[in-house]
Amino acid sequence: MKVLKNILSQLHSFVLWLLASAVFWGWIFTLVTDTSPAKKVTIYCDVPAVQDRLLAAELEKTMPEGLRMIQVHAFNYVMLDTASFDRGDIFIVPASEDTDLLMDLIPLSEGGPTKAYDAASGKGAATGYIQYTDEDYYIYLGSGSAHLDDGAAFAVAQELLELP
Amino acid sequence: METKIIELYTDADMERMGRHVRLWRRILLAVAAVALGICIALAACTDTLNAPRMELATVAVSTVAGWFVIYKWVFTLSPVRRELAHAQMLRSEERETVAGAVRLTDEQFKIRKSVPVRRVIVSHGEDESRLLVCGSRAAALEKLDQAVLYVCHGYVAAYEVTV
Repeated sequence: MKVLKNILSQLHSFVLWLLASAVFWGWIFTLVTDTSPAKKVTIYCDVPAVQDRLLAAELEKTMPEGLRMIQVHAFNYVMLDTASFDRGDIFIVPASEDTDLLMDLIPLSEGGPTKAYDAASGKGAATGYIQYTDEDYYIYLGSGSAHLDDGAAFAVAQELLELP
Repeated sequence: METKIIELYTDADMERMGRHVRLWRRILLAVAAVALGICIALAACTDTLNAPRMELATVAVSTVAGWFVIYKWVFTLSPVRRELAHAQMLRSEERETVAGAVRLTDEQFKIRKSVPVRRVIVSHGEDESRLLVCGSRAAALEKLDQAVLYVCHGYVAAYEVTV
């Protein structure tokens, strides 16, 4: 009873400490789990669902030298104007994608866009991690990518295409 | 008949409180250091897959250790530290004597950032002196009737008994 009374008398300190602790370690973990665009490859998938951490961890096993991490995000159209989206390295988008967005994307090969998912056969890139809808999907490189010259974005995209 | 001065805080009391303060200060520092070490280790072992779990574990360790330190600091260490500082003041600073009929009242309160105290009234003739005594030492004055008190800044530091 006395302990409970003591705790209640210092409740403000306990709550304040909890908040400070969450904010401080949240900030530290943001630093630990993120890095500059030059040291990471970011993949945006316009799909209903993606197992972002599992896919990123799988791709990190074979990521090119010089990279620290790979990040995977399912995106929505609210993200379109954000700076980090503009610097995205790899995009997986459905065939029905808005053409304005596609103008900023670069196909993997000069022969035209590369299919990431074929709806007819149900086969595609990383289907164990990415939930596609019932249409074809294409994979592109971002025009604002920091890894066009060093080839890292292309290498990760190729790796992604080979994932079951 | 012989008069004897009884100190409210003896050398043994001072030593005991000093030990308590040193011990708890070390324990709390050790808990904080170990918790910080665990949190740093968890952050260092973070990878893409386990990041959310590691962040949650780190916040949990930091929070629980912080709560323990706050609780023990406020309710175990600080009261003794304040009483020790109060006792050091009583033992080191100049005293005056107040003689008369001693009455320990029920009035008690806590002085901010200091010790809890009880009111002592010493009547001498038509005058009376309103003094204070540290709550944990008040019992010593309960059985006094006519006595000489040694007072420092309004706090009872010692009293005289005739043996």
